Amino acid sequence: MGAGLSDAHQRPYRRRRAHVVCSSGGATVTRKEYIARQRAEHGRKAVAVLPIHYPKELLTALDLLAVELWGPPGPPRGDAAGRLQTYVCALARNALAFLAAGGADAVDGVLFPHTCDSIQGLATLATDFGGWRKRAFTFLHPRGASRPSARAFLEAEMRSLAGGLEELAGRSLEPPRLTAALRLHAEIDAARAGLLDARPRLAMTDPELYALLRRGEWLWPEDHLAELRAARAAVKDRSVVQGVPVLVSGYVPEPIATLEVLNRAGAFVAADDYAAVGRRVVRAPLPGARAPEDPWALLLDRYWAAPPCPSRSADQGARVRHLEALAERSGPRGVLLHVLKFCEPELFDLPAIRKAFAGRGLPVLVIEGELEAELSAQAVTRIEAFVEMLSTGRAA
Amino acid sequence: MILRRARYEAAGRVVGPLLASLDAWRRRSRSRSRARAPRTSPFGPPLESVRKLKELMSVHYFQGRYAEGAVPVAWVTSGFPVEILRPLGFHAVYPENHAAICGVQRLVPALSDAAEAEGYSRDLCSYARTDLGSVITGRTPVGRLPRPDLLACCTNICQTVLYWYRALAERFRVPLVLVDTPYVYGEARPHHVRYVKDQLEELVQVAERVAGRRAEPEALVEVTRIAKEGSDLWAECLAQGMHRPAPWTAIDGFFHMAPIVSLRGTEACNAYYRLLRDELKERVRRGIGGLRDERHRLLWDNLPIWFAVRQLSTLLAERGFNFVCASYTNAWAEAGSRIDPSDPIGSAAAAYTHVILNQDLPNRLGILRRLARDYGVDGAILHSDRSCKPYSIGQIDLKDRLVSELGVRVLLLEADHSDPRAYATEQGENRLAAFMEGFA
Repeated sequence: MGAGLSDAHQRPYRRRRAHVVCSSGGATVTRKEYIARQRAEHGRKAVAVLPIHYPKELLTALDLLAVELWGPPGPPRGDAAGRLQTYVCALARNALAFLAAGGADAVDGVLFPHTCDSIQGLATLATDFGGWRKRAFTFLHPRGASRPSARAFLEAEMRSLAGGLEELAGRSLEPPRLTAALRLHAEIDAARAGLLDARPRLAMTDPELYALLRRGEWLWPEDHLAELRAARAAVKDRSVVQGVPVLVSGYVPEPIATLEVLNRAGAFVAADDYAAVGRRVVRAPLPGARAPEDPWALLLDRYWAAPPCPSRSADQGARVRHLEALAERSGPRGVLLHVLKFCEPELFDLPAIRKAFAGRGLPVLVIEGELEAELSAQAVTRIEAFVEMLSTGRAA
Repeated sequence: MILRRARYEAAGRVVGPLLASLDAWRRRSRSRSRARAPRTSPFGPPLESVRKLKELMSVHYFQGRYAEGAVPVAWVTSGFPVEILRPLGFHAVYPENHAAICGVQRLVPALSDAAEAEGYSRDLCSYARTDLGSVITGRTPVGRLPRPDLLACCTNICQTVLYWYRALAERFRVPLVLVDTPYVYGEARPHHVRYVKDQLEELVQVAERVAGRRAEPEALVEVTRIAKEGSDLWAECLAQGMHRPAPWTAIDGFFHMAPIVSLRGTEACNAYYRLLRDELKERVRRGIGGLRDERHRLLWDNLPIWFAVRQLSTLLAERGFNFVCASYTNAWAEAGSRIDPSDPIGSAAAAYTHVILNQDLPNRLGILRRLARDYGVDGAILHSDRSCKPYSIGQIDLKDRLVSELGVRVLLLEADHSDPRAYATEQGENRLAAFMEGFA
């Protein structure tokens, strides 16, 4: 049992840990069914959350289920996508279509983090001009380094968000519950980091691993942690994955076929910097002593301790250095940059990342997607050729 | 250092104005010597102030060539509170204004190619690609841009500028100061404005360090007063467009806004707008219009299509359509009401948080509605700008609301503010022709 679940304040979580969602072997549960079950069994309301960064700990502490909305991928599920121009990213267009078509009606509110111009625009478009009628929340996270103004603002913004969420949840945010949520999420991050770091010793395909990691986007955190623990228990003491190690960075691993193709071609993800996955894994442990008395300070610390992300950071160099450190740790033979078309935060960094890895003699492949349901034949060929080139390099 | 400073001052005060006068004289004599038949133009007589505008901007860029090593140089986004930098003696360079000049001169494809060759995507803002391409190649239509000592970026116009300036910071290895302005949903909340104010105070410290001198509070008050007056003067110029016929066109306004963007907070800027205002008032008094025959009045939303601005406005003007107002030029007129010289930092925080692009769609609709009514427009063209997502997102809904609420005809025109490769001329002109036919 992790330290995060050991004190008396965490009993509510332990008591309510009624079931674990099975996706491999057991019965699978859809998001809608899961949301309904959480409501029926635990009285939990649900909040749909747009990408990327938000204080999930606040939702957990208020007993609100966060269900992240990364599109959804595939073709838009409604006509409302036409209210955004085709040069706006597929994620924003799909999300608007999904919300307007009632796809998220199972939840009680939507949270729009201040990720980029498109999601910011989506927040006002859907809530003010039609598309979403229930509660809407915004979370404006500060850009740039951890300077005094940014810390003060972040705390004020988090407290403001908490106030809105309290109304939705119908309960007030008790500091001990926030502490418990912080511990829970720190434990989840530790488990996720453990799995990502132990990738070569995991007897799983990349699509299986990512399906597991990404279920954290909608499972109740304790259910997710149980799955992660089970997977960690299966980590071998020696490498079981054969193939070419690759570092992957980008927005979101969609379509998942990208990873299937990578595996089939003979490569595997040795290091992850997807915004949806690795870039949200906070590796700094929670300091034990401060925890009981100052959960807000801990929450702020966790925010600043997350890996560099262009949607939050003002320093491109810090991101490049982070990627270089990832490469040093995992020893990839190549880098796959899997970007979303029109995603400016990601696209602006590509030249600097390419240059940095070129300097290290690491080949880089850029694949651009639009959250398609299927990977294009052209992209498949490019990934296969890339892996073949890396394999040949190893043989030579 | 002293020599460089002297050269910089001489460039701005003596040599630049002299060269600009010579250039103006050469142009005048050249046009006199070309004895050609008078052209039939749908436009009214050109504004006399244009000459002064050219001189002012030429001198600004000419002086910039000598700024490096003479004075601290800041590259600044158009929505940045530059008033804070002026008392510290910074020479401010506006990459967006420079990119617009490149757009007018159709240099963008070549400069963008250079940026794309380095790996920048063509889907990025064309201003950013132009600027990065200019930095990479050293090519510029203004002779030379001074290397920055400081990059000053404010996210009130878009988040793009943050990513763009991060890339510049990495390239130039100079400090990047960021003023992060929380997006305004409804009304700005107190902790949002406080955050911006706190950042401005932090910015003063960094700017002082780079400039190597202290900011005098009195000087900041004075620059703020000048900036407020400049904004008010610009608002007065724009307001002349409410008259019938409008004494100029919003297309003229796109060019005449250069000083309020690039020289805000200077006496030169204000002197220019006094001149322009007086000329516009005189034209109103004498009934001289921006168009010879103004039959329909239009509103323009979003940035101009710099490379096609003259063709499009001529096409419309030939049928009596005049752009009498634009949400874009109006943006620099709105700040004045919030700026308070007695509280330079606090009022700047409020003013720069409330620029049009940092406000939600109901606020933007309110601005468009007000402009449409005040200027008496009977139609609007919303430029769906591929390079400016924050301005373009929501335009499809805004169009529907303008039509249903105000009963005006609205056209959504897809293009790009400076990359001609993202604009289909034939299709655009066809759509404009069909739009104009609707007024018959």
